[in-house]
Amino acid sequence: MAEIRKVVVVGAGVMGAGIAAHVANAGVPVTLLDIVPAGAPNRNALAEGAVERMLKADPAPLMTKAAAKLITPGNTEDHFDAAVGDADWIVEVVTERLDVKQALYRRIEAARKAGSVVSSNTSTLPLASLVDGLPESFARDFLITHFFNPPRYMRLLEIVVGPLTRPEAVDTVSRFADMSLGKSLVRCKDRPGFIANRLGVFWLQAAVVEAFARGLAIEDVDAVIGKPMGIPKTGVFGLLDLVGLDLMPHVNASLAAALPKDDPFHAFDRPLPVVQKLIADGYTGRKGKGGFYRLNREAGKRKEALDLATGEFRPARKAEVAAVAESGRSLGKLLDHDSPLGAYAWRVMGATLAYAAALVGDAADDIEAIDEAMRLGYNWRWGPFELIDRLGADWLIARLERDGQAVPEMLRLAAGRSFYRVENGRRQALGRDGQYHDIVRPDGVLLLEDIKRAGTPVIKNGSAALWDLGDGVACFEFTGKMNTIDQQVLDLLVKTVRRVKKDFKALVIYNEGHNFSVGANLGLALFACNIAAWTEVEASVTQGQEAYRALKYAPFPVVGAPSGLALGGGCEILLHCDAIQAHAETYMGLVEVGVGLIPAWGGCKEMLHRWSTLGRLPKGPMPAVAKVFETVSTATVAKSAAEAKELLYLRPTDGITMNRNRLLADAKARALAMAESYVPPEPPIYVLPGPSAETAMAMAVAGFRRLGKATPYDEVVSGALARILSGGDTDVTETLDEEAVLALEREQLVRLVRQPGTLARLESMLMTGKPLRN
Amino acid sequence: MAGYKAPLRDMRFVLYELMSGDELARLPGYEEFTRELIDPVLEEAARLCEEVLHPLNRSGDEEGCTLENGVVRTPKGFPEAYRQFREGGWTSIACDPAYGGQGLPAMVNVLVEEMICSANLSFGMYPGLSHGAYVALHDHGTEALKAAYLPKLVDGTWAGTMCLTEPHCGTDLGLLRTKAVPQGDGSYKLTGTKIFISAGDHDLTENIVHLVLARLPDAPKGVKGISLFLVPKYLPHADGTPGPSNGVSTGAIEHKMGIKASATCVLNFDDATGWLVGEPHKGMRAMFSMMNTERVAVGVQGLGLAEASYQGAVAYARERLQGRALTGPKYPDRPADPIIVHPDVRRMLMVQRSTVESCRALAMWTARHLDLQNRHPDPEVRRESEDFVALMTPIVKALLTDLGYEATNHGMQVLGGHGYIREHGMEQYVRDCRIAQIYEGTNGIQALDLVGRKLGLAGGRPLRRFFHPVAAYIDEKMEDEALAEFVQPLAKAFVRLQQATAEVARAGLSNPEEAGAAASDYLRLFGLTALSYLWARMAEIALAKQDDDPDGFYAAKVATARFHAERVLPQTGALFSAVMAGGKSIMALDEAAF
Repeated sequence: MAEIRKVVVVGAGVMGAGIAAHVANAGVPVTLLDIVPAGAPNRNALAEGAVERMLKADPAPLMTKAAAKLITPGNTEDHFDAAVGDADWIVEVVTERLDVKQALYRRIEAARKAGSVVSSNTSTLPLASLVDGLPESFARDFLITHFFNPPRYMRLLEIVVGPLTRPEAVDTVSRFADMSLGKSLVRCKDRPGFIANRLGVFWLQAAVVEAFARGLAIEDVDAVIGKPMGIPKTGVFGLLDLVGLDLMPHVNASLAAALPKDDPFHAFDRPLPVVQKLIADGYTGRKGKGGFYRLNREAGKRKEALDLATGEFRPARKAEVAAVAESGRSLGKLLDHDSPLGAYAWRVMGATLAYAAALVGDAADDIEAIDEAMRLGYNWRWGPFELIDRLGADWLIARLERDGQAVPEMLRLAAGRSFYRVENGRRQALGRDGQYHDIVRPDGVLLLEDIKRAGTPVIKNGSAALWDLGDGVACFEFTGKMNTIDQQVLDLLVKTVRRVKKDFKALVIYNEGHNFSVGANLGLALFACNIAAWTEVEASVTQGQEAYRALKYAPFPVVGAPSGLALGGGCEILLHCDAIQAHAETYMGLVEVGVGLIPAWGGCKEMLHRWSTLGRLPKGPMPAVAKVFETVSTATVAKSAAEAKELLYLRPTDGITMNRNRLLADAKARALAMAESYVPPEPPIYVLPGPSAETAMAMAVAGFRRLGKATPYDEVVSGALARILSGGDTDVTETLDEEAVLALEREQLVRLVRQPGTLARLESMLMTGKPLRN
Repeated sequence: MAGYKAPLRDMRFVLYELMSGDELARLPGYEEFTRELIDPVLEEAARLCEEVLHPLNRSGDEEGCTLENGVVRTPKGFPEAYRQFREGGWTSIACDPAYGGQGLPAMVNVLVEEMICSANLSFGMYPGLSHGAYVALHDHGTEALKAAYLPKLVDGTWAGTMCLTEPHCGTDLGLLRTKAVPQGDGSYKLTGTKIFISAGDHDLTENIVHLVLARLPDAPKGVKGISLFLVPKYLPHADGTPGPSNGVSTGAIEHKMGIKASATCVLNFDDATGWLVGEPHKGMRAMFSMMNTERVAVGVQGLGLAEASYQGAVAYARERLQGRALTGPKYPDRPADPIIVHPDVRRMLMVQRSTVESCRALAMWTARHLDLQNRHPDPEVRRESEDFVALMTPIVKALLTDLGYEATNHGMQVLGGHGYIREHGMEQYVRDCRIAQIYEGTNGIQALDLVGRKLGLAGGRPLRRFFHPVAAYIDEKMEDEALAEFVQPLAKAFVRLQQATAEVARAGLSNPEEAGAAASDYLRLFGLTALSYLWARMAEIALAKQDDDPDGFYAAKVATARFHAERVLPQTGALFSAVMAGGKSIMALDEAAF
């Protein structure tokens, strides 16, 4: 099978540049082309400007600054033929005009090499018209790859394949998108808006039009069509502000033009003069002066919301929705609630869910594709069919019938049963044939979710569980809130080491939460401090140190497999693993100083050892100490797995998996490979600089304080860190063992937790989620 | 029947020696409150309570209040006593000088309140309720309302009430129905029925200012839809004199177990004119600022009655001659020994005595933080004290009334059959004290407030204000041999409290019923540990003064501290076991099985 080694992206707008950046994130060289702007002295201005902007953007499209070097900016006049001629994959991301695209395709067809693949990122144009009139050789190598914004972070990739498209071409791009770009692929039929936008735009438009018609407060709308449905809290109007109001009319017009006359979309496709005026006035959303919400700077940064009835802004208020408050967690009660917002919620979601059911066989072959598209493309917690299962298919049918609305055939099929079921531990989905079919994972995809459905844990308690992954590999999962680490996690970890030693060959530490772990349970820690339970606090520090050390020196390999945040104690457990297989979107950091603490579960000890052995630093003990001090005293968090390598939170030899769904299988394979001839590590010996270095670091922080870059309490916390990293009262002629460094960690932590400054920081983090700069 | 003598010696000990009362004068606004001013205030209060209020206690109980032609009459002597009380300035001592008050520190006020409660709780209810109304209006009223009503409440020419309860709603105020309809001129018309209104009507003052919880027409359901209104019994004329009647009538007075001289009324509001106090729908907030003050005050009622009962029991135990000491006659010249020679009578007296002295210290510790919260120049200190008061308020209310009730019961028991009959007034203390465990939020509700709200507040920050100083004290004194007999048991109780606190918080997070089942025992454990800490500190002070102790006050203090450490503190072990056992057995029975 052909491999993709070089890529060209034509069109350096937000999407094109973002796609190019993500190809670079995958380590593949990419040329980013755009037109030569009229009269510009720099003929590459557009593409170069895009790369520069991306280096500053937040959230960052690039995983490391170094990745930008893989992007070659150019223009479509001087560099086109050479770049396209050399590329294995050419991605077209130009304006949504058929004539422009087809003219470009003709140039591409003339320049590209045999066996290369061309794809379009169009979101509105059908594949059939894109290839209409183009040579068959082009159509055979052409498909639609529809990315979502921002391409690095949104996991959905919609794929549309034409009747002539070569299966190998599809495989080549699919493999690359899956393995290298980490996308989840959803096959769509060649229908307007494909799946996610077909349903997503319908939903948004219905929600907006009905909100205007009923004169609702937008805060209330976002509170109803949001969290209670598992929809992100931006809801409807917050989401439109995010994607841009000016996009709405274009997308609506193209959908309206392309959809058949009897499509339910038309019922909601009405012009909204208030929105037109907003756009005309520059209220295009967060990228403009604001949108449905704005910050009124003249009124002291007051948050304001648009009054849908008057079109004027008014102070935003907290949503107060009885329908939500009185429905508990029952979606059915909410949609049945006898109130304007209850009626509204039903009108919008009833129509949306019915529309989703009508799309089976039209936009998608099966319900899983639609659910996956909405989960990954719109970040819904549950896809529409999962939502219907929560409501009950019979409930929805009855309610639609009562309202005199059509009941789609696919929904009828589910009468008396559900869209999904679990049979013999396997999840099955209802097909158009009325039968349930196993949901089959692709090769190389292993999900703990499936393991858990099929079996019971080897051992577990209230905060963690151990699972059998087969082939002699066990998987340790955090199960507490936000995957925090508490006494129970540590208890089970110690039991796990014993159990794995007896019954398994290797251990993987992994879970499927949004975040690997946000660290120690600060709520418990603060509570213990507040009741002056100092002995317990110290015991929990010792317990963590011992549990992590047991992991490190266990007679079997331990592979950490994080995704999302791995902070504080969650980062420290990874530092004690023999190897890491990290999801590319892993954000590691020793952030303890932010809450007035220092890493005391061996984090200082491990980082000192790493920087002195792997840091490629000048000789002597001081450079490593300084490096760790710099990283930890500023609570630096790596913004990707690649960046974590630069900070040595990950070793150069640790692996990175781009596709979230492949992480566990990769980690398991790595663990098995290591199990062959595993030898536990030798305990390190430390040579640390002692009090003079401590003084030097303290002086540096005092300097920052004078510059206003450090707060008074930063000095106290940094002082504690400096004391540990410099090795206490040691000097360069002495050596220290791990226990000595751990003792310093304990001593300083126990000292800090008695300080009001630390307690105030802990409290602020827990109560407001924000660090206190005291 | 025995008289009442205000325990001024012990009060001064707690105020000056234990709670650094001399530092009060260093707080801004309290400069004048030195011993030279405070001592005469306490002495004068003692005289009034001993000579004017206490003599009316039993007669007031016997006579009770009457309702005739819609007018409540207080027992004989009450109007005259109130006149003296008012003219002596006692209604204004804890009030804002801006409205004619004397602005006395809370620590002084608590001692005065204790004396009033000891002397005549029923009488104390009238100015007590006025003060509650004063606080709510002072903290939340408009300037115009405050200017019109506060001076009258402060100088006591008018009285006040708090109207919360309705026939179908007590603890759950979210259910209340009384409605308030805006009149367009800033006033409202209130209609509804309120019950259990203490001091709801009486003949002590020329007007009564009712603070009433009611619902506006557009109010949301539940407690978030309740507003507070001021409704005078008589609408004042422009010159401030009481004018026409205002649609508030007394439907009935309750016939109660105790505090019979306090009129507990059913009040009917029939299109009565009122004005909003605080913001619409935010009545509960205004209510709580009053309620917190009142809860501490109710705790002090339990303390005051325990003191009065103790005095009665001691007097009787000295005089009553029955049988002989177990070791042979102690007073061979008399026909029998006084019953005070008996260990079991001693046991009861010591329980009373240790209860009274330590509960007084706990009330004063809280009052000290009330003063710091109100007056300290450093906002951080003010916030810390606010945390302390928030934490200790439910404990003071429930612990002092529960222990106070137990103490009055012991007092009655000491007298045997003579305690049970009315003559000695001992059964009246029991009856009067019983209500304090119920009103202002039952003690069960106080326990829920402690475990449900205070424990979890800001990650347990209020707890820090208790646990940190106690932990530091134990650390500091652990090696002190002279204090070992007090500090070591305290350390044990403290560890039990720490573990129980962690357990209640943990279990409550996953299952609120666990916290609910533990609440009352946990509150008692917390309270006893707090008393144990105060006993250790009191013993430490007293031990240092043994050499200069002509009246034996300090020696008695040490002995009482020892009694607490050996005979009371061990209860923390049983409470700890009960809390840690969890709530399963409490909730095990099917409802039908009851």
